[in-house]
Amino acid sequence: MGVESQRVEEFRLTKEPYYLPLGHEVELFEAAFNARLPVMLKGPTGCGKTRFVEHMSWRLGRTLITVACHEDLTASDLVGKYTLQNDATVWQDGPLTTAVKSGGIAYLDEVVEARKDTTVVIHPLTDDRRVLPIEKKGEIVQAPDDFMLVISYNPGYQSVLKDLKHSTKQRFVAIEFDYPKADLEEIILQEEAGIDADTAAKLVKIAEKVRNLRTHGLEEGVSTRLLVYAGQLMAGGVDPVEACESTICKPITDDVEMQRSIVEIIATQF
Amino acid sequence: MTFGPSGGNVGMYVAREMLEAVPADQQEAYLRMVESISELKYQLGVEVARQLPRLIAQSDPDLVARYLTQVSEVAKLGWRSGVEVAKQLPDLYEAPDPELADNYVMIIGDATTGTAAGADSAQMVDELAQLEREIQEMEPKVKRAQELRTQLAVEDRRDEKRKKHAVELATALPPLLARLRPRHRETYLVQIQRVATADPEASLEAADTLLDLLNGERVSHDGAVEWVSRGLEVLERNKEVGRGYFRLGSKFSLDVLEELREGLALKSIARVLKLYATALSGRDIAIRSSEDVNTLEIYTADHIVLPADMRVFDEERQNFAAYKVATAQGAGRIEFGTYLFSLDDIAETVASIQSKYGA
Repeated sequence: MGVESQRVEEFRLTKEPYYLPLGHEVELFEAAFNARLPVMLKGPTGCGKTRFVEHMSWRLGRTLITVACHEDLTASDLVGKYTLQNDATVWQDGPLTTAVKSGGIAYLDEVVEARKDTTVVIHPLTDDRRVLPIEKKGEIVQAPDDFMLVISYNPGYQSVLKDLKHSTKQRFVAIEFDYPKADLEEIILQEEAGIDADTAAKLVKIAEKVRNLRTHGLEEGVSTRLLVYAGQLMAGGVDPVEACESTICKPITDDVEMQRSIVEIIATQF
Repeated sequence: MTFGPSGGNVGMYVAREMLEAVPADQQEAYLRMVESISELKYQLGVEVARQLPRLIAQSDPDLVARYLTQVSEVAKLGWRSGVEVAKQLPDLYEAPDPELADNYVMIIGDATTGTAAGADSAQMVDELAQLEREIQEMEPKVKRAQELRTQLAVEDRRDEKRKKHAVELATALPPLLARLRPRHRETYLVQIQRVATADPEASLEAADTLLDLLNGERVSHDGAVEWVSRGLEVLERNKEVGRGYFRLGSKFSLDVLEELREGLALKSIARVLKLYATALSGRDIAIRSSEDVNTLEIYTADHIVLPADMRVFDEERQNFAAYKVATAQGAGRIEFGTYLFSLDDIAETVASIQSKYGA
């Protein structure tokens, strides 16, 4: 086993990540994988997109290379670049190239944040060519059948300046996520935070009420991830009100009046 | 050889050949004469330095003295004429008619100064200098007068505005007094008088606001006195801001009022309650003050009507809780249509409640 393949193996999940299906997303993802189609996960922050990809990576037995995209991320960062090592110029594969070569899942989280030139390398991978052009080396890497490209995309964050082009969007199978229904979210909280059913139900009730404020000054509602945090703090012995204020209230808004109204909502349950 | 303080300049007028043309024993006198005449004008010194050796050579001290005197006289009237006279006189002294030079000097002198006109000019110059001195002395007074004029104009305008607003107050006050509850009258009148004395325009605002505050029992009499006192402090610092204070148009004014009130003002927590009701019900609910709403509207729209202030309890926290209970009740009415409840809808209502809150 070479050094490169050893490195790739580090991205293979050995333990099943917990994921509770909310609908038919697992079957849909598997079908897309089998058909060698790229997938786009849409949904608000903290609703379980990344956990879903991790789960599917484990389920399909594929390595998962995740790239958290940001505004300075270029095509070179994804594909690779020449670097100096001991007075020699050495080519270093980027995460996308590594994933393509190893036949794993490449997950570009919040891809819309990356620079526009990244679409140049994404496009040939997402149609029937399934190739990755490495311009600096003058190479074209053919993706193996078990390579899959997955991107995530939060429609709530997009604006005129930051949005995926239709030419990009229409290359993906879209799986849409939202916050889980109350009964499912309660199960998730019990499983992930280790709290009892009653506490989980109260947290979900609070989240449901707070999410009602999404069009009234809150950019996004409280995520399942934050509810898990609240549950974990409570399970660790933190006072429920304090735990909720620190996870459900303060992270999602700086508006003092909004915070106060959320505190009052919390007070209806704890 | 030294020539006094300005001796150093003499060398500029006297060329070496000029000095050499003067007998050695008279050279010092020559230089002093040139120095003396050049004090009138530099160009005069140059010309006299040029002509004097010729006169000195005649060994006639009277002639030299006469020359210097005549040149000086004319030069005092006009230095350009003096230079020309200095140049021409030596030739005229040699004329057969000894009076020719004197007549020449007289004519040039008169021509340079004129007669009566010259005297008038000198007088005018003196008078002008005197006037300019006086004007200069007057300048600070003129400036001060201008300042006073500006200040008085501002005072006049202010006075006009004050009178105008006093008239407006005279018109506005009687209807307000008619609405004022009798037990507030004394406090009200005293406080309005305080504001009116300071600024009638602000008193127009204060008259309206204080009426509502007292009639609505939103402040006690002591509270009203304190609210006005704090407003007068603001008014003293800035008239516009002070007027805003008295119309309750500034955050500070509302804060002071809140501080003085014994209850909790709806205005200060209306948005929190609105968000609370919206979160509870999932609907966009408005919070309205009972003072702003016609009683007929109270139960007919997506709004919750609450009292303008809550004074059920002594503590703000408890008054807020009272507001919260009323808001939750209102949100429930809007969400479940309590006041529109009928048995026809019972199945639908129960199903809706179950879907939201479980069995």
